[in-house]
Amino acid sequence: MNTMFAEQFNEPATNHSTAAPIEHRFNPYSDNGGTILAISGADYAVLAGDTRHISGYSINSRFQPRVHTLPGEKPLIVSANGFSADGETLVRRLAQRVEWYSYNHNKPLSAKSCARLIQTMLYGKRMFPYYVATILAGLDENGRGAVYSFDPVGSYEREQCRAGGAAASLIMPFLDNQVNLKNQVDPATGEPKIATDLSLEDTVKLVKDAFSSATERHIQVGDYLEIKIVTKDGVSVEYFPLKRD
Amino acid sequence: MDAIVDRFIQRPGFDEDVLAKEEMLDIMAPSSVPTLSLPPISQPSAFLRAHTDDASNPDVRIKIAHGTTTLAFRFQGGIVVAVDSRATAGNWIASQTVKKVIEINPYMLGTMAGGAADCQFWETWLGVQCRIHELREKSRISVAAASKILSNLIYSYKGMGLSMGTMVCGYTKSDPAIFYVDSDGTRLKGDMFCVGSGQTFAYGVLDSGYRWDLTVEEALALGKRSILAATHRDAFSGGSVNLYHVEEKGWTYHGNHNVGKLFWETKAAESSFNNVSTDFTSDD
Amino acid sequence: MSDPSSINGGSIVAMAGKDCVAIACDMRLGMQALTVSNDFPKIFQYNNSFIGLTGLGTDVTTLSEVFRYKVNMYNLREERDIEPETFANLVSTTLYEKRFGPYFVGPVVAGINSKSGKPYICGFDLIGCINFAKDFVVGGTSSHQLFGMCESLWEPDLEPEDLFETISQALMNAQDRDALSGWGGIVYVITKDKIVKRLLKTRQD
Repeated sequence: MNTMFAEQFNEPATNHSTAAPIEHRFNPYSDNGGTILAISGADYAVLAGDTRHISGYSINSRFQPRVHTLPGEKPLIVSANGFSADGETLVRRLAQRVEWYSYNHNKPLSAKSCARLIQTMLYGKRMFPYYVATILAGLDENGRGAVYSFDPVGSYEREQCRAGGAAASLIMPFLDNQVNLKNQVDPATGEPKIATDLSLEDTVKLVKDAFSSATERHIQVGDYLEIKIVTKDGVSVEYFPLKRD
Repeated sequence: MDAIVDRFIQRPGFDEDVLAKEEMLDIMAPSSVPTLSLPPISQPSAFLRAHTDDASNPDVRIKIAHGTTTLAFRFQGGIVVAVDSRATAGNWIASQTVKKVIEINPYMLGTMAGGAADCQFWETWLGVQCRIHELREKSRISVAAASKILSNLIYSYKGMGLSMGTMVCGYTKSDPAIFYVDSDGTRLKGDMFCVGSGQTFAYGVLDSGYRWDLTVEEALALGKRSILAATHRDAFSGGSVNLYHVEEKGWTYHGNHNVGKLFWETKAAESSFNNVSTDFTSDD
Repeated sequence: MSDPSSINGGSIVAMAGKDCVAIACDMRLGMQALTVSNDFPKIFQYNNSFIGLTGLGTDVTTLSEVFRYKVNMYNLREERDIEPETFANLVSTTLYEKRFGPYFVGPVVAGINSKSGKPYICGFDLIGCINFAKDFVVGGTSSHQLFGMCESLWEPDLEPEDLFETISQALMNAQDRDALSGWGGIVYVITKDKIVKRLLKTRQD
């Protein structure tokens, strides 16, 4: 109320036609929801994401894939989850850089180098960040599964598994428990269990469980689950229906 | 035909456009300081603060990892560097396995407190600068010079929202040195520093056990013990302890020590942490 | 972070099983980043009803004593124990009395009805709206993590021992992803004629 009076009666009249451009509150970000999850194994890596695209309480699309395959004969898969305009832009620019690299150097970009490239691209916008949680999955130089996760401004780490996006807080403790066997002890010895590589089959099962659970308790997650799997033979895709409510 | 070609080569927003420039920069000769793109407004730092500073606005969209305990101290046998491994975004523990010691080169270490990306990026960049110095001058860079390169860089971004508290540790000839460098522009030479949200807890233990003539083993144990104390009392520190020893010949890694296990081992070995009960039989 | 419900930290979870219920809490009391106490249980027993109180520490203590008083008065007037369903309504009305100046808490009630033998669990918001649940209820600073854990670990008709394992794993893994919860844990497994209390050995960071 007070501000209204101030604007109407107390503010001196300004001549807008000659004044400098008026700067309004600049908010270029929105949240398009969705969750992604990656797990690496002995000779594979999976990166899964639901396909719901939202803004506010509205569902814009029930099938907007958010996990992307980068070009090349030894493909890497990547997803930049959060504000989808930023995410898509990042992935598109990254895909182009990866393609150019292969032409310039006549070899595919390794997962390790791609991770560093993503860091420099994200940090290049340190003062105007891409609003995304990014995960890169692929195979490393030794053919082992590799997962790299990034914060919005490019800090990164190689990990066994990582959930990102809206329901990361629901899924991540479950992954700690089931993939890294945190807080589990061997009943025979009483010693903490040591995590070993999961089979691809078990991993996919775990991913589906994690997303089914997240769908129950998070409104931004649902519709379909897209699971991309990288092995030495390339990328395969599997779809799994999630609840649509 | 020419008209068609013209349409493509003069397409507005390709040749001279900001976006293209940004892409081209990466391919062309690397400049010594990378270019960071800015939001198209008059006060970029205010914009950044509004969207990323979770201390002034807990509901911010972009949460940058914070919270840490790191320490480094000089002693008779060189330098010990010890850090925790937790990354938090608000109250959420984003990771328990962060590498907070950045291996600038085989002779120099940097620690990470504050913005994870800021430290990771600029200390990697510092590694590049140190290598360039080596190639140009045919001698290894001094810790003083290296820390000053970092400090000057950070200072050039002062007020833009960088958040770093780092210790640059290494040897200059046969002289061990630690420099504390932070995003305010501070650069201090010293024998002992603890940095981060858990620094006070680490100082408490470190001060009570520190002597110049500590053996290497004792010094490593003290560094580890100080971080352990901080992980126990500071909610934003934890995960595991990463230990390093820096000598004239370079640094050596002394392992990752998970706090989950280390705590109970330490408690049993020295009958400490008596605020925590080991009696798990319930009284009723 | 001056939000009253996340100054002190803490978490609660309750689960229903086959003729049994379990309720568990962490042990931390902090002041923002500083851990002040690792001996601050948040579960209180009144007859055969259990309540877990998370949120602002002072309100947790105050309310636990208000409920002790009210349940004692109930026992004197009615000359019988209070049932979990009745206790839940007592909690609800007590909280709503402070509708415009609420206690900053997120209570969870668990118990077994002594007449029917049926498990009962429910949760509340800070002004007393009851959330009836057949499976599990959560509360506190790690509620998101607990939802994720419970939704994926819980299954119907768990026997007491399996329920204990499930609720313990849910609590421990959830609090290990929350900076403000942890530093120990307590689990109660309640059957019609037995209450088993166990302390959890957890990470101390």
